[in-house]
Amino acid sequence: MKINTSILILISTLVLRSIASNNLLGIAPQDEKYYKGLWSSGMIKCKDGSKTFTKSQFNDDFCDCFDGSDEPGTSACPTGKFYCQNAGHSPVTIFSSRINDGICDCCDGSDEYGGQIRCKNTCWEAGKVARDMLMKKIATYQEGVAIRKREIEQAKISVANDEAELSKLKNEEKILKGIVQPLKEHKERIEKAVEKERVQKEIVEKQKKEAEESESKQLKVEEKVDGVEQPPANNNDDKSAILDNFPSDQHDVKEEEASKIENKGEVADKDIYSLSREDLGREIGSRWTGKKPEQQYHAVDDVKNDHEASNNVHDEENNGYDTETDDDHQHYDDDTDEHMDDVGDEANDEFDSSNTYEPDEEVDMSEAENIQKEYDEASTKLSKLQSKITRLTKKLGNDFGPEKEFYSLYGQCFESKQNKYVYKVCAFKQATQEEGYSTTRLGNWKKFDDSYNVMLFSNGDNCWNGPDRSLKVSLRCGLKVELADVDEPSRCEYAATLTTPALCLEGKLKELEAELEVLNSQLPEFHDEL
Amino acid sequence: MISKSIRPLHYFLFLALFLFHLNSVSSWKKEEFRNCNQTPFCKRARSRKPQHCNLTITDAIIKDGDFTSTLINPLKSQENPDQDSSDFVSNHLILSLSVYQDGILRLKIDEDPSESQSQPKKRFQVPDVILPEFESKKLWLQRYGNEVINGDSLPSYVVYLYDGYEAVVRSDPFEVFVREQSSGKKVMSLNSHGLFDFEQLRVKKEGDDWEERFRSHTDSRPYGPQSISFDVSFYGADFVYGIPEHATSLALKPTNGPGIEYSEPYRLFNLDVFEYLHESPFGLYGSIPFMLSHGKTHGASGFFWLNAAEMQIDVLGSGWDAESSIALPSNQKRIDTLWMSEAGIVDAFFFIGPKPKDVVKQYASVTGTSAMPQLFATGYHQCRWNYRDEEDVKNVDAKFDEYDIPYDVLWLDIEHTDGKRYFTWDKVLFPNPEEMQKDLASRGRRMVTIVDPHIKRDDNYHIHKEASKNGLYVKDATGKDYDGWCWPGSSSYIDMVNPDIRSWWADKLAYTEYVGSTPSLYIWNDMNEPSVFNGPEVTMPRDALHYGNVEHRELHNAYGYYFHMATSDGLLKREGGKDRPFVLSRAFFPGTQRYGTVWTGDNTAEWEQLRVSIPMILTLGLTGITFAGADVGGFFGNPDTELLVRWYQVAAYLPFFRGHAHHDTKRREPWLFGERNTELMRDAIRVRYTLLPYFYTLFREANVSGVPVVRPLWMEFPNDEATFNNDEAFVVGNGLLVQGVYTQHAKDVTIYLPKDQTWYDIRTGTAYKGGKTQKMEVTDADIPVFQRSGTIIPRKDRFRRSTVQMENDPYTLVIAVDNSGAAEGELYIDDGKSYEFKQGAYIHRRFIFSNGKLTSVNLATTSASSLGTKFLSDCTIERIILLGYSSKSKSARIEPSNHVTDVELGPLQIRSGARSSVLTIRKPNVRVSEDWTIQLL
Repeated sequence: MKINTSILILISTLVLRSIASNNLLGIAPQDEKYYKGLWSSGMIKCKDGSKTFTKSQFNDDFCDCFDGSDEPGTSACPTGKFYCQNAGHSPVTIFSSRINDGICDCCDGSDEYGGQIRCKNTCWEAGKVARDMLMKKIATYQEGVAIRKREIEQAKISVANDEAELSKLKNEEKILKGIVQPLKEHKERIEKAVEKERVQKEIVEKQKKEAEESESKQLKVEEKVDGVEQPPANNNDDKSAILDNFPSDQHDVKEEEASKIENKGEVADKDIYSLSREDLGREIGSRWTGKKPEQQYHAVDDVKNDHEASNNVHDEENNGYDTETDDDHQHYDDDTDEHMDDVGDEANDEFDSSNTYEPDEEVDMSEAENIQKEYDEASTKLSKLQSKITRLTKKLGNDFGPEKEFYSLYGQCFESKQNKYVYKVCAFKQATQEEGYSTTRLGNWKKFDDSYNVMLFSNGDNCWNGPDRSLKVSLRCGLKVELADVDEPSRCEYAATLTTPALCLEGKLKELEAELEVLNSQLPEFHDEL
Repeated sequence: MISKSIRPLHYFLFLALFLFHLNSVSSWKKEEFRNCNQTPFCKRARSRKPQHCNLTITDAIIKDGDFTSTLINPLKSQENPDQDSSDFVSNHLILSLSVYQDGILRLKIDEDPSESQSQPKKRFQVPDVILPEFESKKLWLQRYGNEVINGDSLPSYVVYLYDGYEAVVRSDPFEVFVREQSSGKKVMSLNSHGLFDFEQLRVKKEGDDWEERFRSHTDSRPYGPQSISFDVSFYGADFVYGIPEHATSLALKPTNGPGIEYSEPYRLFNLDVFEYLHESPFGLYGSIPFMLSHGKTHGASGFFWLNAAEMQIDVLGSGWDAESSIALPSNQKRIDTLWMSEAGIVDAFFFIGPKPKDVVKQYASVTGTSAMPQLFATGYHQCRWNYRDEEDVKNVDAKFDEYDIPYDVLWLDIEHTDGKRYFTWDKVLFPNPEEMQKDLASRGRRMVTIVDPHIKRDDNYHIHKEASKNGLYVKDATGKDYDGWCWPGSSSYIDMVNPDIRSWWADKLAYTEYVGSTPSLYIWNDMNEPSVFNGPEVTMPRDALHYGNVEHRELHNAYGYYFHMATSDGLLKREGGKDRPFVLSRAFFPGTQRYGTVWTGDNTAEWEQLRVSIPMILTLGLTGITFAGADVGGFFGNPDTELLVRWYQVAAYLPFFRGHAHHDTKRREPWLFGERNTELMRDAIRVRYTLLPYFYTLFREANVSGVPVVRPLWMEFPNDEATFNNDEAFVVGNGLLVQGVYTQHAKDVTIYLPKDQTWYDIRTGTAYKGGKTQKMEVTDADIPVFQRSGTIIPRKDRFRRSTVQMENDPYTLVIAVDNSGAAEGELYIDDGKSYEFKQGAYIHRRFIFSNGKLTSVNLATTSASSLGTKFLSDCTIERIILLGYSSKSKSARIEPSNHVTDVELGPLQIRSGARSSVLTIRKPNVRVSEDWTIQLL
């Protein structure tokens, strides 16, 4: 092997055009067996079995086998592959298109024997650099593997704690519910009684009022009433209407908003006449750039700000980091709907008027106040408890990796500054790009991909004339968790790398060590000889 | 709770924005461009009835070898200021006819120069288009004959034009025509229908309202109406072609006449059209007022009107003149056309043909042949708006190598500049442009950067500083520097019409001036219509003023041409005239072919746009600009993968081969669509590279003769009527017929193979008889391509990173014999970059195969090689493939070396799964530079 290599290098530097004499050129070690037949019998089949070729057709710079097996050392076959030994560095297999093309592709220069160019053998230097880098990498891995182990241990304990906490909370919840429910019923009874009184009072007043009114206005009103008194639900600005999301109501709002934006986005045709010459230039130019003149940006920003504002509210409610995404919030709502209809300041006193009540019962106001207070305290406690449960359930619902090695990333954000932008990736949550005070969402947490080598964030803010923004974070082994190399390879499709000990796999470490071993074992004394 | 209701709203808004945007981008803004009815000169001309013209010929003489006469209106009604009629023509016009070698007649009609002092201004004649040497081809007329036609009241004049052809100037009614001498049959004529009209310049009177308003713009029109229109007839014509640039069929459909749906005329007005439609007579980025006709009976002829003002051309459907009293002999098929221009003079050329190639050669002798491109420019180009920074460039370049896909040029669009200031670099994104170019060049690759004609009005920008200080900008109607709006914002436009300013511009391309440029950097001229975002119809106002007090309206269509010329001259200058320039331009005009390359602008990623790119490129080739292409994949929008692959497969056979995309589109480099599609696109690009020796030979043919590299079928088969309006297939040179696949999920395509030929599938070698339309199966692997019998095509079958590494690779010859067992082909080679070929430093061989013997003959002219420079090549031929030749030969003898080589069955293309089915001469290893013969034994 060593001898072959040195001969090969000698040959490739000395023998220029004569290829036939250099029988071993371009053959990979694993193929030596295949070619043995050629030396012994003088003829073998192409690897794909399509044809046979003779010794004289081997590396004769004419393609006989469509798979290139007769020409491992020349450029004659388009599908051919050339093996460079690269003693002192790693061997490489290159495309036949690189052979004698005037560019040094192999560090040992064996791909350039045609005399167009003299390639210096740089394998030793390159190999040393590569080995040094490999050694550094191994050192990182060694340390990383240890950190990873610790983190996994820690994660397991933490998860167990979380789970214990959760079941404890659930127990408390059960107990608390047992207290809240009777209070609630009691309270309702009182309220109904109060309401009944009020209603009766109202009826009396109303009748009085109607009597007065019907005297002053008569016919006209009746006509109008038909038109006005049956408004579609969307004119109902009662709080409950908003909370219940009357579909028609929303629809109209949306349409109105949309058309507003439409008008801002593209100046309507007639408006083009009225534009200043500068604005006209901007407007027309924006067709190509997709960059809408200023107003448009505002429109988008407004929407975004609204969205954020709503998030912030949750942030406060939920004490810091664990901003509920809208989905969570939905979840939270469902809970409340189920268990705590009447809790909180948004409580909707929604009565079923057919409910029975006891008209004869006198309402004791001080009792009512006490019950109310008791009930409020208990239900607030319950609601806090339930939101804790929701949060914890959600947290534990995340995929922390097969060994929970990503657990420690939960609740953490990582930033990287590039030019005027600050990129922020919050694992299991979302990724953003910040410029000054404006924030663009690059995506919400979606999942791990590519067997836990990639984090995906999707459904970010939409791009003009483009897709919703998304981010793909490639994970690498590193001792610290650091975000780097944020890039936008395609418009609005972002990419970044994140180093983390979670990726420092023991198996990979073994591979690297084996690689280094091979390199070291190939370190020939002959380098000194040459 | 709040977010619950906001969230869907939020999404809805985005959806609405998105949908709205889709909607806005899918429609061409028709109303922003003037139609004929909104264009007074067009409306007037179109509404005229036949026999409108009252002019007659007087005072005919022969002077300075020309026939000269005066056109007068005998009925002239004095002082009728009605601008809607030619009645007010009180002066007379001067007509002259000149005859040039090879069957070219030139007709000029202008106001009388002797009365110039009474005219408000001189009408504009486009300089710098006609080749200087064209004048030397003039035949000096000695005399004219007289003849009375159809009992006319005045005698007509007849002059010699070409062997068997005469030109006739009929006096009353006025008409000019070319006829066959023996039969008297007309070939082409002007004003046979009396639609000639020439609005003469006059002094503005009180009360004249000459202003024209369109949308928010007002054209002051200080010189009033000055348009010209006339009818031109092509006899024995089945179809007319040419007059680019329109996204429409090759054979031009009628735009006016009975039974024809209302259509605009074909418009020639260089415009930056956002998202043009694929089937429209609307004028796009460039204009060439040159029309060809072809028909079974006469063959081909051509008509070229050298005029740079807005032009509108109607192709009239038969029966359009039914009301006219004059009926032409009905046995002669004829196509009538109406030509209308806003300004300028009549400077028209009639080309008699009669073969299609004769017409393009005749046109080329007036406006020039296409420049010989550098070899690298014929390879594959990779572009995108934008490769963002140096790292992006590095990565894209590396990916080509990683996937073993050859390419030659990486392009940078506008974002590489510092704030759209051309000749500068964004310092953050491209801090080391020279290093970047040198790195690419180390693997044989070039770079192209964009340089547009709009100059940012920024006092710190050196180009603007010089231009504003020295008065180098186009002026507005009031004489101030015209201030428009383009990419950089407020911008002015260099007045490229002035030769001194062009020279100044050319100097800006020097390495010392264009900091960060290196010898491997070439240029792309975009937006040179010129595009002005806030101008009327997205261009410059017609009353803007150029050098020599010429109004923009008079030269609009030539502005981009002058800019292209100046840039090309700059590249020539920077290397002391030694390096062939490469400049891609979007706008064009007759003569553009001498300065560079053209592409069809901002197309869209749609199947129909792929289909229309073929007639668009063929039309450019017919009208002189053979080095043309369309953005592979479509500029706007995201092509689906199948469309992208099909696009590569066709575009690989078209002269200019570049992938490009809008910045809002997804990345679409060939390796981004999965292994199979990478392979398909790589195959398509590699096919192009194997055929580069053939393409380069054809580029040389175009450079010498003007015959385009890719041709409509009827150019090669002028007697095969079935080809006349085929624009889905084309021929590369005379040897390869290419049929694109233009529909999704196609399982088969319908192909017409021209008659009296055998056609060999270039992949399988299967022979097909021509003369019928046949359905052929297609797979995703490639599109149908056939080699015509009787041809020899040179290839280089080794794959490399780029053309540079292919230089020393051996050739393969593919011989497809005709029914007599013979074939011929050519190979042209030079250094691929310099002008030494002009001193004879090239190899030009003809390969002749007959009677089982292949002979290589030298075609290089002895006079050329005696100039002293010589091009040497050690390249050999490694393989010769014979299609359609049955022989039991096992060997062949090579002379003069007298050695014998093997003959065996081999593959037609080396690829896995190929079959060894074609007769192959193995390793003849003869040198391409030498004379030799190879005889099958």
